[in-house]
Amino acid sequence: MDLSIDRVTKEFGDFSALHEVSLDIASGELIALLGPSGSGKTTLLRLIAGLEYPSSGRILFGGEDASRTRIQDRRVGFVFQHYALFRHMKVIDNVAFGLDVRPGRDRPGKSEIRDRARELLRLVQLDGLEDRFPSQLSGGQRQRVALARALAIEPSVLLLDEPFGALDAQVRKELRVWLRELHDATGHTTVFVTHDQEEALELADRVVVMSQGRIEQADTPARVYDSPASEFVYRFVGESSRLKAAIVQGAVRMGGMDLGSRVEGVQDGPADVYVRPHAVELCEAGAGFLTGKVDHVRRNGGRQIVSLSSPAGGLDAEASLAAQIVPGDAVGFRFARWSLYREGAPLEAAP
Amino acid sequence: MSFSAPSPRVTEGPITRAVLIGTAVLFLAVFLFVPLAGVFFEAFRRGIGVYLAALTEPEAVSAIQLTLLVAGISVPLNAVFGVAAAWSIAKFEFPGKAMLVTLIDLPFSVSPVVAGLVYVLLFGAGSVLGPALEDMGIRVLFAVPGLVLATVFVTLPFVARELIPLMQEQGTASEEAALSLGAGGWQTFWRVTLPSIRWALLYGVLLCNARAMGEFGAVSVVSGHIRGETNTMPLYVEILYNEYNFAAAFAVSSVLALLAILTLGLKGLLEWRFAGELAANRRH
Repeated sequence: MDLSIDRVTKEFGDFSALHEVSLDIASGELIALLGPSGSGKTTLLRLIAGLEYPSSGRILFGGEDASRTRIQDRRVGFVFQHYALFRHMKVIDNVAFGLDVRPGRDRPGKSEIRDRARELLRLVQLDGLEDRFPSQLSGGQRQRVALARALAIEPSVLLLDEPFGALDAQVRKELRVWLRELHDATGHTTVFVTHDQEEALELADRVVVMSQGRIEQADTPARVYDSPASEFVYRFVGESSRLKAAIVQGAVRMGGMDLGSRVEGVQDGPADVYVRPHAVELCEAGAGFLTGKVDHVRRNGGRQIVSLSSPAGGLDAEASLAAQIVPGDAVGFRFARWSLYREGAPLEAAP
Repeated sequence: MSFSAPSPRVTEGPITRAVLIGTAVLFLAVFLFVPLAGVFFEAFRRGIGVYLAALTEPEAVSAIQLTLLVAGISVPLNAVFGVAAAWSIAKFEFPGKAMLVTLIDLPFSVSPVVAGLVYVLLFGAGSVLGPALEDMGIRVLFAVPGLVLATVFVTLPFVARELIPLMQEQGTASEEAALSLGAGGWQTFWRVTLPSIRWALLYGVLLCNARAMGEFGAVSVVSGHIRGETNTMPLYVEILYNEYNFAAAFAVSSVLALLAILTLGLKGLLEWRFAGELAANRRH
């Protein structure tokens, strides 16, 4: 089912958690809400679920206004951050709960409910654990029980709040791949909240980057990474360095050197250049845009991260392990790709 | 220092330990076990016949029945109140919440006699409420309603106190999950909330019951001590004792003590059961 969030604002007393947020989600999409804590991403998820009601604006399910519909009638599958399993119930009863509480006329027969719950447990690869209690399961298994329980009501959308937050790194990676496969197999419209950019970029069809109750950018992972719509997105998604620059009669100048690109119709004044470590090329001193001094060199897996200080500010550069660089060296650098911002907003620079 | 030297001791030495344990056991023996045994010894000293006769006396039977009746009304009332109070405190934010938490503890800090006197003031002959209710044929003071009111007041905190920390720890996610799965408010309460607090609730009810049956001070003030009518067991024991009828006094006391021991036994059983469940919840 497609979802539409139409100028939704949510206030808690004096605190405003969301300001006029609009977002359209197509049927079958897998969406990540990404942002730091306090960005409003969880509030948005709870509004979609019906656990909270918007202060103003509308939420549409398949074109119909659901803003005032009770959570029971929205048929959302919600997976809570700490799973919120019913600890006094066996795994199978947890999964069957949604069918079991249906009013008489809609409720399937007892054996049908059990068959359906078993089928879902098979789907999440937990067959054989029907009679365990939640406390007897590992974190990853609980997560999958919570997912099976949410899927049991044949939800119109699947909502997950920090689905992998409480798991160790290894399990998290496995479940991530598994969730993507499950999504592709079942085709549910899925929205999940995360503060882990790697998770969002790897798993989602579209990433919605949020900050201070607003959507900064809603785009494919590649575009969010390669063409950040704002300074915030550049900083929040991926590694980056910020350098001081200035615009003088349309030319971008950094540390007294011209970067060779022009911006049109922009007043002279300071600006910020953002660059990712892998887009920084190191060269002989004096041969690049600028020359910097190496502060320290860190080994990170199969590459080295070189931290430089330059007249325009500090920056990190990626270098191959073959490069012989030691602290104290003077090295030149230039950028394969960079972005220009003024007061948080992007400026289009053309060569 | 040689390597064969014993590693330095972290806990207390054997003598300290023996003294501490000995003191605790001796203290318990002198102040708890000996008096309790004394009650049963005195009760049976003049033979089982006298013991049974004292208990089958109409006034004794009436006192036992009244005690069970008062506890039977007060304990369910406080169980309902306790669940409601703990629910609202643990799951909602509202103005005056801190005040409510403090108020729940009030009966623990106020002397039961004062509690009794409050009801005399409220429902006595000189009050507004008392005569008005009397005109409608409802007698509060020196009757069962007064005894129930005083008992409810004194035992008010037991269930709520037991539930508040547990429900606060459990939060609202399970309830939200139940709602998202389509359950209504009552279904959520009966199938999710109540089962997750059942052991703590039972534990609170048992403590509440023990106190309800044994309460003396507040009940004494509102009872009027009408023999065979408004005497609960603790009050009846006092009357017998004041009349130097020791055998009967101890016989009735022994029944009260038995009820208390039964309650404690049940409580121990639950604690054992409940500890397992709590530990499981912590692991969760």
